[in-house]
Amino acid sequence: MSGTHALSDDQVRQELKKMTAFIRQEASEKANEIEIKANEEFSIEKAKLVQEEKDSIDSNYAKKFKQATMSQQITRSKVANQTRLKVLGARQELLDDIFEAAQQKLGDAAKDKDKYQEILKNLILEGFYDMNEPTLQVRARKADYDLVKSAIEAASKEYKEKVDKDISAEIDESEPLAEGSAGGVILVGTGGKIDINNTFEARLDILRTSALPAMRQALFGKNPNRKFFD
Amino acid sequence: MSAQNSEGITTLLEAEKEASKIVQKAREYRTKRVREARDEAKKEIEAYRAQKEAEFKKFESEHSQGNKQAEEEADKEADVKIKEIKEAGKKSQDQVVKDLLSAVFDVKPEPASD
Repeated sequence: MSGTHALSDDQVRQELKKMTAFIRQEASEKANEIEIKANEEFSIEKAKLVQEEKDSIDSNYAKKFKQATMSQQITRSKVANQTRLKVLGARQELLDDIFEAAQQKLGDAAKDKDKYQEILKNLILEGFYDMNEPTLQVRARKADYDLVKSAIEAASKEYKEKVDKDISAEIDESEPLAEGSAGGVILVGTGGKIDINNTFEARLDILRTSALPAMRQALFGKNPNRKFFD
Repeated sequence: MSAQNSEGITTLLEAEKEASKIVQKAREYRTKRVREARDEAKKEIEAYRAQKEAEFKKFESEHSQGNKQAEEEADKEADVKIKEIKEAGKKSQDQVVKDLLSAVFDVKPEPASD
């Protein structure tokens, strides 16, 4: 188109310069924006990631600490218990030894015939009182039959004196006490349905529970923690 | 004239090319920053975790130490008490055996009091 040129060469060059500068300027500004945004995003994203993970780590370790504390408490309590059991075990051993020693000596009573007869009479009389029946059977060691016969006589007499009742007691020779028995008697009444075991072994057995409080006090002293005494 | 025109167009095209390079660089920077955020976060997190772990290990070792001590003390205590028991036994055993045998042999028959 050859007509009037609106712009001279110089003007064209000027315009081009302006336009290029403008294009560059726009690009710089855009690049700047992008960089600023990038830095912001960096800070935010980093902080977010760190916080999330820290929270999770914290809660994990809180759990770990709690478990460790609990397990320590459990261990302490186990240890205390073990100690207690050790001491109780030693006490029990002593008590068992004492009963064992007593058991060994149960046979001593029968060695002194006079004393033994007196004991037999009392055992039988005790049985008479407890049974409160007119007819009873007495079981004893074969070797004791003579002594027991006399003891029964003496006991029956005393019974009559004390409660004014007649009583007839006989040795049941079909059922003697076992050979190893240390002595004493068994009284049987009510057609064989009730018996009072007054052998020395049986009397010691009762003491295994009934004598414990007194034994403990004699051996270990009063219990400072005890509150009830009835 | 058309030569001028094409010169002008070339110039502008080159300017545009430059411009897009500039912007592209910025974009690459942005991508790099995203990665850096993750990497740095990871480092900080690891350091924190390691610190917590060290705290915890210290706690554990202190406690197992304490436990051991407690057990030793408890054993000592038990031994003392057990010694006391044995001595009490030596001192009183014979008398207690005598008392038991008394209870077995000293019968005191009493009529039932109803």
